Amino acid sequence: MTLKECYYVLEGDYEGVTGRLGGERLVRKFIFKFLNDPSYAALVKSLETGDYEEAFRAAHTIKGICQNLGFTRLGASSSLLTEALRHQNAEEYEALAALVKEDYERTFSAIRSLQAEENDGRTL
Amino acid sequence: MGENRNWIQKILIVDDSEMNRDILTHMLGEEYEIIEAEDGGEAVAILRQRSTEISLVLLDIVMPVMDGYEVLTVMNRNRWIEDIPVIMISSENSSVHIQRAYELGVTDFITRPFDSAVVRRRVANILLLYAKQKNLVDLVSDQIYEKQKNSSLMIAILSHIVEFRNGESGLHVLHVQALTEILLKYLVQRTDRYKISGRDIALISNASALHDIGKISISDEILNKPGRLTKEEFEIMKTHSLVGASMIRELPIYQEELLVKTAYEICRWHHERYDGKGYPDGLKGDQIPISAQIVSLADVYDALTSERVYKKAYTHETAMEMILNGECGTFNPLLLNCLKDAADEIKRELKVNSINFNNERQLKSIMNEMLGYKELSASKRTLHLLENERTKNEFFAEISKEIRFEYTVDPSLVTFSRYGAERLGLKETIMEPKENEELWSAISREDIHILAGRLEKTSFLDPVVEYECDVNYRGKTCRTQIIARAMWTEDETPKYEGTIGKLIPVGENGEIKIQKRENE
Repeated sequence: MTLKECYYVLEGDYEGVTGRLGGERLVRKFIFKFLNDPSYAALVKSLETGDYEEAFRAAHTIKGICQNLGFTRLGASSSLLTEALRHQNAEEYEALAALVKEDYERTFSAIRSLQAEENDGRTL
Repeated sequence: MGENRNWIQKILIVDDSEMNRDILTHMLGEEYEIIEAEDGGEAVAILRQRSTEISLVLLDIVMPVMDGYEVLTVMNRNRWIEDIPVIMISSENSSVHIQRAYELGVTDFITRPFDSAVVRRRVANILLLYAKQKNLVDLVSDQIYEKQKNSSLMIAILSHIVEFRNGESGLHVLHVQALTEILLKYLVQRTDRYKISGRDIALISNASALHDIGKISISDEILNKPGRLTKEEFEIMKTHSLVGASMIRELPIYQEELLVKTAYEICRWHHERYDGKGYPDGLKGDQIPISAQIVSLADVYDALTSERVYKKAYTHETAMEMILNGECGTFNPLLLNCLKDAADEIKRELKVNSINFNNERQLKSIMNEMLGYKELSASKRTLHLLENERTKNEFFAEISKEIRFEYTVDPSLVTFSRYGAERLGLKETIMEPKENEELWSAISREDIHILAGRLEKTSFLDPVVEYECDVNYRGKTCRTQIIARAMWTEDETPKYEGTIGKLIPVGENGEIKIQKRENE
């Protein structure tokens, strides 16, 4: 899988991100870092414990990272969740959190596959 | 002048997301030195210690502990915002957010997603703009410095000519100048009745050098007569105040200059008395301009403590006693109180009878004048002095292995010396120390509250508190003495601003005991 294909799968803006970060090298470096970013875990945990202020900050951070890395789809759902949390629309949290979960997993597994292939390529 | 090209500028990146900080660091790290802060609290702590080093701040809005707006508020309160440009980085692009940030003084906005070329260009442009502005500020302050230095020099030469005839060393003028400045400083602290600004202080102490220029018209026989003057001779001597005043009044130009007006007041009325029994006009109380009242007191003090052809020098103590007992004329009681307040400083300052003494004074008065201009408040010179102090402080803290701390009320933040933080097993910076559980692991909550309470109850004049309690050094408890000094503002009603202090383990051989235990 190429980086471009990966962005196709996670529904992101390949041209945009490579343009802004000046090529594929940095994009790869940062999207692999995304796999270890603690923001999503923080979001899940704070939603569970009902700490909505912390949840807002976590969702907001995810949204920011998505904008920087051109993750259009996850960016859109985390942005909706951020706004719901900001305006404390409690009835929307659950549905939007599910949406973010789905998009996060899609994004995560796409990057994971890219990384796996790259590592295989190296060991060969 | 001109920035050193090899000097790498430092940029502070404040963002709670490591990923975002990394991306920015990648974009800027090659050209600048990057300092990172995870939240607003950390950013403020870094700024508090290194505000003079940092050239630019990239600031996120939504963050834990302290958000971007709060950081900006603190930057405004400490006036850091005037010297350090801030670029807001955010995905908040609603106009309300942007407007609020601009109102708080940010220079620019960068919205996510970051574009590497745009970020680099904006950062470079803003740094360039600020560097140019700073250079201009330095240029202007250097010119003011040069100008004031020259005019002080001319005044010094002029007044020296007068004293030269008098057979005096020229120190009298310098002393009167120094005393005038000190007295004015204390007067301003005591009251705002006379509406004296920092610039007025510089002006009056400069003009004070001219108080006796009228003596140029007095003949040598009278001026340098070793014995007592006859009544007639004294009447002639007394004309020097009016003569001096008319010499200034008859200057063909510059009549509107404040220095000239002030010099006129001083020449004419520095022998008036508060009870109306002075000369030449018999003015009474505050009819006598405050400039002349002050110079009059300074003149008398220095005349008493110096040797003259007709008398020996009195000691500081005797002179003070004579003045306060009314043996040398009547003065404004407020000024006598200032003289009492200033006694120690006067004694200390006037001991140094060297020419350096004057240079330093002069520099200080230039500083006073410059403080009158808001834009110049942080000129290169001032920053350099600050920077020096900070480096010294850090160095001594490091080599003396002391557990020092510094606390500020607003933002509520305690900072330990690097060594101290290590000994205590704490972070160097701790927010809200009174309510911070991490800190309680070292010093009990109760002790912190008692100590804080005592410090808040100290006063401007008596700010030191000594307190003894158990302190936990990474799991080892040792009896410890805490010596702390509360910092009060110099306002009329002083405000508690924070505390500095140190911890001294005292248990049985405090230091040794702990080390021994660690080895066990």
